[in-house]
Amino acid sequence: MRIEIVMPKMGESIQEGKILHWTKRIGERIEKEETLLEISTDKVDSEIPSPAAGVLVEIRAKENDVVPVGAVIAIVETGLVPENTALQESVINFNVGNQSPEVSVHISGETNKSNREEKSGRFYSPLVRKIAEKEKISNQELDAIVGTGTNGRVSKKDILAYCKQKEMLLQSVGRKEKSFFLQSVPIEEVLAKYPEPLHRIVPLDHVQLKMAEHMSRSAATSPHVTIVDEADVSLLILLYHKLSDGFEKEHGFKLTLTPFFAFAVVRALKEFPLLNSSLAGDKVVFKKYINLGIAVASPAGLLVPVIKYADEKNFLGLAQAIHDLTYRTRAKRLLPEDISGGTFSLTNYGVFGNIIGTPIINQPQAAIFGIGAVKKRPVVVENEGNDSIEIRSMLYLTLSFDHRFIDGATGGQFMARVRQGLEQMTENEVQ
Amino acid sequence: MAERQYDVAIIGGGPGGYVAAIRAAQHGLKVGLVERDKLGGVCLNWGCIPTKALLRSAELYSIFKRSAEFGITHTGLGFDFSKIIARSRGISERISKGVEYLMKKNKIDIIRGTAKLAGKNFLEVSTDGKDAETIKASNIIIATGGRPRTISGVVIDRKKIISSTEAMALTEQPKSMLILGGGAIGIEFAYFYNTFGTKVTVIEMMPNILPLEDKEQVKIVETSLKKSGIEILTGTKVERVTVGDEVTVAVSDANGKKELKAAVALMAIGVQANIENLGLENAGIKLENGFIQTNEFCKTNVDALYAIGDVAGPPLLAHVASHEGIVAADHIAGKAAHGIDRTNIPSCIYCQPQVASVGLTEEAALAKGYKIKVGRFPFRPLGKAMALGESEGAVKLIFEEKYGELLGAHIVGSEATEMIAELVTARALETTWYELHSTMHAHPTLSEAIMEAAGEAYGVALHI
Repeated sequence: MRIEIVMPKMGESIQEGKILHWTKRIGERIEKEETLLEISTDKVDSEIPSPAAGVLVEIRAKENDVVPVGAVIAIVETGLVPENTALQESVINFNVGNQSPEVSVHISGETNKSNREEKSGRFYSPLVRKIAEKEKISNQELDAIVGTGTNGRVSKKDILAYCKQKEMLLQSVGRKEKSFFLQSVPIEEVLAKYPEPLHRIVPLDHVQLKMAEHMSRSAATSPHVTIVDEADVSLLILLYHKLSDGFEKEHGFKLTLTPFFAFAVVRALKEFPLLNSSLAGDKVVFKKYINLGIAVASPAGLLVPVIKYADEKNFLGLAQAIHDLTYRTRAKRLLPEDISGGTFSLTNYGVFGNIIGTPIINQPQAAIFGIGAVKKRPVVVENEGNDSIEIRSMLYLTLSFDHRFIDGATGGQFMARVRQGLEQMTENEVQ
Repeated sequence: MAERQYDVAIIGGGPGGYVAAIRAAQHGLKVGLVERDKLGGVCLNWGCIPTKALLRSAELYSIFKRSAEFGITHTGLGFDFSKIIARSRGISERISKGVEYLMKKNKIDIIRGTAKLAGKNFLEVSTDGKDAETIKASNIIIATGGRPRTISGVVIDRKKIISSTEAMALTEQPKSMLILGGGAIGIEFAYFYNTFGTKVTVIEMMPNILPLEDKEQVKIVETSLKKSGIEILTGTKVERVTVGDEVTVAVSDANGKKELKAAVALMAIGVQANIENLGLENAGIKLENGFIQTNEFCKTNVDALYAIGDVAGPPLLAHVASHEGIVAADHIAGKAAHGIDRTNIPSCIYCQPQVASVGLTEEAALAKGYKIKVGRFPFRPLGKAMALGESEGAVKLIFEEKYGELLGAHIVGSEATEMIAELVTARALETTWYELHSTMHAHPTLSEAIMEAAGEAYGVALHI
């Protein structure tokens, strides 16, 4: 029996590991629990033992290769004695960042007993395994398929539906590499649960389709962490009231709170360029400008128009750009370039009175900032050592960031910077 | 008297109705079962079971006739036709009693009489000489079954022109019999009567007998039946049936017309649904080709009204009815996860050699556009077949080429109807050719032919 050795997951946030050293050579016999190789992740170096006794017949990754978690790196054949082994060294270089390496599954009809079940603890019928092999569905993908059979078992129907979805999506994305796909429940299953005539079928419109695609992709791509902070914006509200007096007369539109938030976020982004970057494979792309996307609920659905070069605008410039984009979004007069090129996004669910949200990152950005509603609350305020309860204008802020490359400290410090920016904003700054 | 109220009322106590009743009761529902005749329906009383009893007699008799082959001698082999019939009736009686016990055990009310829908949640049940009783039920399952169909203009008089019902309880063995229809029922009776010496002629309109089965496999059966003395006329249309001292059937085929005569004619062209006098129109239930239209959970177009078994359309098989009964009861109880999988229904015909199949025939698979691999293995080289003296038969398996999925399985031979279960399970578990071939099959068994046929499809069979 051929046992696939995969790159183990060494921690929750670990996505890949580097092969440091193979302790066995092809053709060598190995005992169960004997060290097969050493790997290194960004947190630790580890020795990996063989899960079974046998002969190492195949090594698929060289020393110093960086390999995604779950990828097959070697094969141990349990039914062989070393002398008789016909050995073939096949070493494949992994492209870091390629989520599903081509080599992850190699089983033939005659040696069908792969150890898929052992890996995920999930049963796959022979037919499902065969289809997975032929259609190059990786173990991780297989494990993610929702099964509609008895006890959630993945059936032929489920895996074929998955293949179809994946193919459609790859076509629509217009590239052949495997990246992401829309995971959805097949319509047959839904209709079976809610029989006629108690339903009505309405296809997604193009905005919803895009939303479905973007959100699924983002959720599948980035491990999201959302942190929440609380800002006392009593002074900011005073400032807002002061400025909005006569603002419309002078500038032709009403001042809202959004430009203040955008202003604080842009200033913080300048200090924390990582939040304005993108992760591409094993590289971070830092942008030398800030294009701030602002989520706007439009009659057509959710759109995120972008303020280009937001870092070069003063407060008034930001306010004008926001007014212009919001107006044109609602009037359905956006141009394609208005909704592309964003480097960071801001969403203000506070306009509906909501206080906290956990927004999903707009890929390939690194994070998204959420603004809740400003509410007056009784707050304990310390003044020269004395505690008192005061009525303050309070605001919850949220930040969802990609924990693959932004750690909690960075995210937290960025958040704190935005909070301070809002709490301490002066009239001077926004002139 | 206050009207009786049930969570589920079921019309008809056949293999669909009584199984649905038990299942519903197991879900904690209060169940009433209306039956105008005997519990067990056609299956237990006038179908599956009594015919299998008759066929067992025929099978044994034909083996006795071959006894010398096995080194067994006897004097004065004979049979008593009335005792063969009596044994069959006795078995039906016993099983029907068994069903009655199951109803009692599950606290299911048996309501004797004929039911009619009176609006969506009401049934009127009438018995001879008694006023109709109204029964209220939150859900109703129609399981009234079917009855033999006849050719238009031909009346089943139960004497000269009989149906399967009469054919399994004749008091006297007819000297000759014309069987109209070469489907499962026609062929089983052909085998039975021919074995005991009745001159049998089967008339089938389609180009083959058993038209739903795989053509290549049917050839094996047809050859065997013809060799045993049954006359089989395929591609032959019945033009006219007249009754005198004998029954005369005028037929036509590609070569012209002729008249056939026999003591009796058995009408076995099919089954029609019992949909009359049920008040279906009161409830607004939709029909399709003379059967009640249902969805995969056996629900009709009207909420809380279900139909299962023969009345809900083909395939008209007892095991389909029972399965539908389970799904309907589960659905009523809100516990149905899956509807009926109509692609994995086994079909069994109990003449000798037996015929059993599941899934697609070779013709159907090709018609659906599949690229296929076909594996065949005859019984002849199998040690067990030789030891049994049953070397007639073969296994034929149809696989989809790309993934090796088992699309269909077709067995002809002595134990075909028992062997098919392996392949139905294999399909339910989504097995490919490889597992069928590489799974150890006990030696010596006829089932080795399955393992070998799977191998044969991929060129790795051993004993051929």
